[in-house]
Amino acid sequence: MIASSQIKNKNIQMEIEIISFGQIAEFIEHQKIDISGITDTETFKQYIENQFPALKGMKYKLALNKNIVQENTAIKNPATIAIMPPFSGG
Amino acid sequence: MSAERYNRQLILKGFGEEAQQQLLKAKVLVIGAGGLGCPALQYLAAAGIGHIGIVDDDTISLSNLHRQILFTTADIGKLKVEVAAKRLQEMNTQIGIIRHPIRLQQNNILDIISRYDYILDGTDNFESRYLINDACALLNKPLIFAAVAGFEGQLAIFNVPDHLTPSTNYRDLFPIPPDKGEIPNCAENGVIGVLPGIIGSMAAAEIIKLVAKIGQPLTNKILNYNLLTQEQYTINISNGSDYTLPRTVDEFLNMEYQDTSEGPQGYVEIDASELVKLQQTESTILIDVRERHEVPLLDKQIYTQVPMSEFSAFLSKEFYQKHVVLICQHGIRSVAAAEALQEKYGAAKKIYSLKGGIVKWRDHFLRS
Repeated sequence: MIASSQIKNKNIQMEIEIISFGQIAEFIEHQKIDISGITDTETFKQYIENQFPALKGMKYKLALNKNIVQENTAIKNPATIAIMPPFSGG
Repeated sequence: MSAERYNRQLILKGFGEEAQQQLLKAKVLVIGAGGLGCPALQYLAAAGIGHIGIVDDDTISLSNLHRQILFTTADIGKLKVEVAAKRLQEMNTQIGIIRHPIRLQQNNILDIISRYDYILDGTDNFESRYLINDACALLNKPLIFAAVAGFEGQLAIFNVPDHLTPSTNYRDLFPIPPDKGEIPNCAENGVIGVLPGIIGSMAAAEIIKLVAKIGQPLTNKILNYNLLTQEQYTINISNGSDYTLPRTVDEFLNMEYQDTSEGPQGYVEIDASELVKLQQTESTILIDVRERHEVPLLDKQIYTQVPMSEFSAFLSKEFYQKHVVLICQHGIRSVAAAEALQEKYGAAKKIYSLKGGIVKWRDHFLRS
C-alpha cells in the first residue's frame, strides 16, 4: 500500500533528472529533483544557478531530453536536463 | 592503389572498393598534431586518405610524449609537423602529406583551409577553436570538432546539413568564448594520455564515415564521452540566434579572436627572483590561485590559497596588503586573476603575476 501511494505521488510531482559534464559535474552531481514549480527551462536555469552559485559565472548550455535549449522551452514530466560546459583541451 | 594494403577494408561488407576510392580522393586538414591530432593522423593515413595536411607550429617536449604517440624521446625539440609527416609517410607511402608548420591566424587560415575538404580541429585553446569555427562556417567546410577536459571528451560535426537541421556550428552551442581562466586547459589541469587517444580516433572514424558516406556521422550532434564510466551522451544541436558569425571575408578579418582585454595592462609579470624580492617587501600578499587538489602543495603560511573557483567571492572582500602576487601552475590563470584584481583596484594596489608559474620555477618552489 505504501509503495503504491509513493508511485502515485511521483506521478503528480515534476521530476527532473540532472546530468552534468566536465567541471560542472564536480559540483552538480547526477541527481533527480522533485520540484513542481519548474515548468520551463528558464525557471530551471534560475533554480539551478541559485542552488549552485558557481554556475552563474560560467559558460554552459542546457539540453532538454537530449535537445539543445535555444529558447525558453516547456518542461514536461519526466524530463532529463543536461548541463554542458565548453571543452578546449587537445 | 595497392589492393593488398587496404585488403581488410576492401573486403569489409558495407565499405569496399568504392569507399576506398573516396578516401583516396579526400583532402583532410588536421589542425594540431597533439594528443587528439596524433591518433587521428595515424588512422587517417593508414586508412588511405589521399591528401593529409598537418598544421602545428610547436616543437615536441617531454611532457607531450604520454599522449602524442607519433613522437619518441629522440624527437624532443623537433617540429611536430616534420616528425609527424615523416612517420606517416613511412607508414603509408601512397598518400600525400602536406606540412604547415605555422600558427593559424586570421590572415592565413582561409587560404589554407580552402585547399581541403574536411577540417579536424584538435587544438588546445578557445582562441583557435573560435577562429577555426568561424573560418569553416564562412567557407562552408565540414568541421570535425574534438576536445577533452579531465576524463571527458566532446566530439561534433559542424557545417554539414542533414535532413532535419540546416548546418550548425560551435557558436550554436557556445556563442562567445569563455573568459580567460574560466576553463582550465590540459597544461593547467592535466589529462590522461589515452583520453585524447580515444577521442582523436573517434574523430578519424567520423571523417572516414563522412568521406565514405557510411553510417550516421555525428552531424548536428555533440557526443559527450566519459572515460571513467564509459558512458556516452549525445545531444542534438539546433540553430541558435544569439550570436554573430562573420558572413564575408572582410567581416571575418575584422573579428576579434585574441584576448579581448583592452588598454595597457596594469599588472606586471615577474620571474622568480622578483618574487623573492617582493616576498621581502612589506605589505605583500602571495596568492596561490590553483584549485585545492593541485600539487605541489605550497606552504600555506607563505602562500594564501584562493582557488579561481572561489575568486569572485574573494573579490567581494577587502584586504590591506598593497602588493599582490598571483601564482598558479603555468602563469595563465594567475594572469586572469591579476586582470580581475586590476579592474577592481586600479592603481590602488600593485598587482603581479608569476610568468610561467610554478612549473617554470619548480626549483625555486621545491627549495623554499
